[in-house]
Amino acid sequence: MSTTTFKTNPQGQVGRSVSRVESHAKVTGRADYTHNLVLPRMLTGKIFRSTVAHGHIRAIDTSAAAQLPGVHAVVTGQDILRIIPDPYYGPAFHDQPILALGKVHYVGEPVAVVLADDPHIAEEACALIVVDYDELPAVFDEMEAGKSEVIVHERLKPAGTFPDLKHLAGRTNTNIALDFHLQRGDVAKAFAEADHVFEHTFRTQQVMHTPMEPMVSIAEPGHQQITIHTASQSPSFVRIEIARLLGWQENQVRVRTGTLGGGFGAKLYIKLEALVTALALMTRRPVKIALTMEEQFFTITKHASTFRMKTAVRKDGTITGRECEVWWNGGAAADIGPRVTQKSGFTAPGPYDIENVKVDSYAVYTNLPPAGAFRGFGIPQLVWAYESQSDIMARALKMDPVAFRLKNFLRDGRPQATGTIMHEAALHLVLERTASRMKWDQPFQKGTGTLRRGRGIGLGFKALVAPTTSVAMINLSGDGSCIVYSSTVEMGQGSDTAIAMMAGEVLGIAAEKIKVSRPDTDITPYDMATLGSRSTFHMGHAVRLAAEDVLHKLRDLAAEVGEADSSPANTATLLRKKFGMQAGNVIGVGSYIPPYTPPNYENGQSDNITPNWMVGACGVEVEVDTETGHVKILRMENVVDCGTPINPKIVETQISGAAIMQIGISMFEEMVFDENGQLRNASFSEYKIPGIQDIPPAMGNEVAQAQQSNGPFGAKGVGESATFGVASALAEAIEDAVGVRLTSLPLKPEAIYRAMAAVRGEPLDTP
Amino acid sequence: MTPFDFVRPHSLSQAVALLDPDDPHVLPVGGATALIQMMKVGVLRPTRLVFLDRVEPVHSEIRVDAQGHLHLGGLARLSALEHSSLVQQGWSVLTRALHNLANVRVRNVATVGGCMAHADPHMDLPPILSALGAHAVVLGPTGERVVPIEALHLGYYEVALARNELIAKVVVPPMGHQLAAYSKVTTRVKHDWPALGLAVSLAVADDGSLSQVSLVLGAVMDKPTRLVTVENMLRGARPDDKVLNEAGAAAAASLDIVGDTHGSASYKKQLLRTYIGRTVRVALGAAHEGIAL
Repeated sequence: MSTTTFKTNPQGQVGRSVSRVESHAKVTGRADYTHNLVLPRMLTGKIFRSTVAHGHIRAIDTSAAAQLPGVHAVVTGQDILRIIPDPYYGPAFHDQPILALGKVHYVGEPVAVVLADDPHIAEEACALIVVDYDELPAVFDEMEAGKSEVIVHERLKPAGTFPDLKHLAGRTNTNIALDFHLQRGDVAKAFAEADHVFEHTFRTQQVMHTPMEPMVSIAEPGHQQITIHTASQSPSFVRIEIARLLGWQENQVRVRTGTLGGGFGAKLYIKLEALVTALALMTRRPVKIALTMEEQFFTITKHASTFRMKTAVRKDGTITGRECEVWWNGGAAADIGPRVTQKSGFTAPGPYDIENVKVDSYAVYTNLPPAGAFRGFGIPQLVWAYESQSDIMARALKMDPVAFRLKNFLRDGRPQATGTIMHEAALHLVLERTASRMKWDQPFQKGTGTLRRGRGIGLGFKALVAPTTSVAMINLSGDGSCIVYSSTVEMGQGSDTAIAMMAGEVLGIAAEKIKVSRPDTDITPYDMATLGSRSTFHMGHAVRLAAEDVLHKLRDLAAEVGEADSSPANTATLLRKKFGMQAGNVIGVGSYIPPYTPPNYENGQSDNITPNWMVGACGVEVEVDTETGHVKILRMENVVDCGTPINPKIVETQISGAAIMQIGISMFEEMVFDENGQLRNASFSEYKIPGIQDIPPAMGNEVAQAQQSNGPFGAKGVGESATFGVASALAEAIEDAVGVRLTSLPLKPEAIYRAMAAVRGEPLDTP
Repeated sequence: MTPFDFVRPHSLSQAVALLDPDDPHVLPVGGATALIQMMKVGVLRPTRLVFLDRVEPVHSEIRVDAQGHLHLGGLARLSALEHSSLVQQGWSVLTRALHNLANVRVRNVATVGGCMAHADPHMDLPPILSALGAHAVVLGPTGERVVPIEALHLGYYEVALARNELIAKVVVPPMGHQLAAYSKVTTRVKHDWPALGLAVSLAVADDGSLSQVSLVLGAVMDKPTRLVTVENMLRGARPDDKVLNEAGAAAAASLDIVGDTHGSASYKKQLLRTYIGRTVRVALGAAHEGIAL
């Protein structure tokens, strides 16, 4: 990777390429995954799931299952009520019952659980449960759900956490779980005065995160307390939500996470934690539920979406107006979907300087598996649409697509659609670097015969989700060794290493010598969650402040004991002088929440919508087989603005990993449902994610030379940025090669071939 | 998964005796790569597994006999075939196909016999062995019998074997001057079950016409399917672009193809139309690099 090293301090930690601090434990099989945890007297639960997409539960017959030798108990929603009288949870809406009550809302919804010592017996018994449903009509398409008479949830129950959802409380007869509106200028006037108006509809499909470690949670009951061991990205949220469900204090709920085998947004908020808690309190025994890969498809997914976009352009290529209507298919539970609708929704017009904009963004319930956060938090769906349209418009105006973008990009100091002034979003630089890596200005051979080549380029941006809080503590022990207490979850993204480096930068200690504790809500302080590329920025600041607090306390201690040297290296001496032996601690604390102004409900305007903007661009060269529609990506160039890379080595893997994941979503991955809402491909033999042979033979990753001045050590997040530009760049490259434009993901060979055959006037039969 | 008996006989005949002609829950196991997945999802719920890993080593042999026939023991691992110099020298179409068959972990344990008896139409080896004119030697309680690979598969997971018969070996005739190729066409990720697998074996006469043609299609129908019409069209013809295009069109028209998750019927027909010519050209090119057609 051609990153420049931004090391400010030659002896410092920031800017070094450090191998992950946990890598040795991982490759030697010693990493502490929750799946490996075994507790005495532990029961295993297997979930019985709904087989219908929408229906009233008439009766559940658990007798045969309960009689199977080895079964400890069979539990239904009615049994949960004895422990938790109001068993509905969710971060935005309390719309997920721990087990179905009265009604099921999608195929795969948990209806009952069998508990046994032996997981195989529990599984066997699950097959003996019989449920009788009164089936109801179901709705699956997000556009239909918006005006459907089929209502997924009779009454909306906002969680109360988010002020902009409060007005929805008690609303009935609707599937719309959030409508977000933004207005700036006068779009009608812009369309009336435009030289050209472009209108398109873009679609994305429902996909799953596919973390290699499926979700797993274990609840361990204690005396008036409970410990939850869980593969969660949000231990602090789990504690608050479980305490709320039980009516307990936060300190009665202890949540611990191990190393996560991937998260990507799948393991946020509550997944299995409320269920294992209820079961453990019911049985007074530890209870473990570990999902299979198949079951993850029924637990959380990425929103399918429909984006209708209308744009006014002057003949010189200036975009003057844009109207965006985005429909997010949230499935049967809102999860964090309403946040996606709003927090991503306000970037729907793209990183362009447009006088007149209007955004209407809707989160809707349907009878499909729930959708929530997914690497990019809705941004990839939006970039797919606005960058596809940029390419379509550039073609229509006979402009170079790079020049078209550079002409319209927001410049530093200009207001984004929310009215927030853009600062330090290196849009021009990132695109120029991508174009340069692609040798965009040089002639490009498109090939002849049955293999045609094309190229495309695209850029997206994301506002860091705000406002959220991180708290960190740093403890220097009697010998001066250092532990950082943080609830940031190491899920493969390298956060432990980054945290150690940032603490080490301030304290003058090598990252490799610093221990970063696993999240444990009895020990590690609050952190909103590990999501949305927020940890480097928020936890980075909290860790930096905690380390500065340590330095401050060391200075006080040195003064107290009459020592001149207050450096962390002298901690052992200072503590020995104070306590007379190797004893005591120096503890620093830091907390961080960025400034923020919520958007006006009426028009979405805010003078400070986000602390920073993350930018990612992608360029691709493809080869398309004109007889089959097969696409081979020959080259991929990814460039991001993440400010100063804390650890260039891990930043590069975040860039390449995000881009490869987005190749999968752009080209291959698709949850396929039949007309009854039954998922047809819930396994890796039928749901395909990219393998090594799908990775472009030439792939470059670069960090643009930029600074984020309000970031810790000049940094901002990078976990999602390289997902942004991939899908539209591929669609443009395909059009460049074979002259057909696809507006729905995934970009499957059959779809490409069909479009080509239709253009030739020889359409294939409809499947 | 319920408990089951797990037996490991020391001879193939002992294994046959441990199988039950009438009980579908008693199953022989080669590498278990397909079986474990089917047990995991509950499709198979065996009461007894007869694991063949300890039978006589002769059943894992790969050898060439005096007549030049390749003998692949039923328990030979796919990776042993992949790395066999005998296979590479005489039947390189197999070596090339094996590099791209499943993955290295599967090839390290999956067996030739298991691969033949599983009868999933998406498998790569059955159409190739069928096109090469191979046969299986099957051991049952009353002794051995010979079954052409072409006659082995009856439908999806249906095989012309009694429940107490095992594939002792597969015998592949020498290729002589035949040229062969296999196209594995996937439509999702590169490494996937094929949407179409096409095995071609040819012989070219001195005048450039095809003196012998064998075309067997996998993955598209419910079992490997010989494209008789197309073989008849190509036999005796010079395989130029026009002939191959007509052959492709005839292949697509001759079959009642059903769409699945890999593609619609009409798209799979287009793949077949395209890959008839492509695969024949690869076969011809394998021995005649640069030949003008």
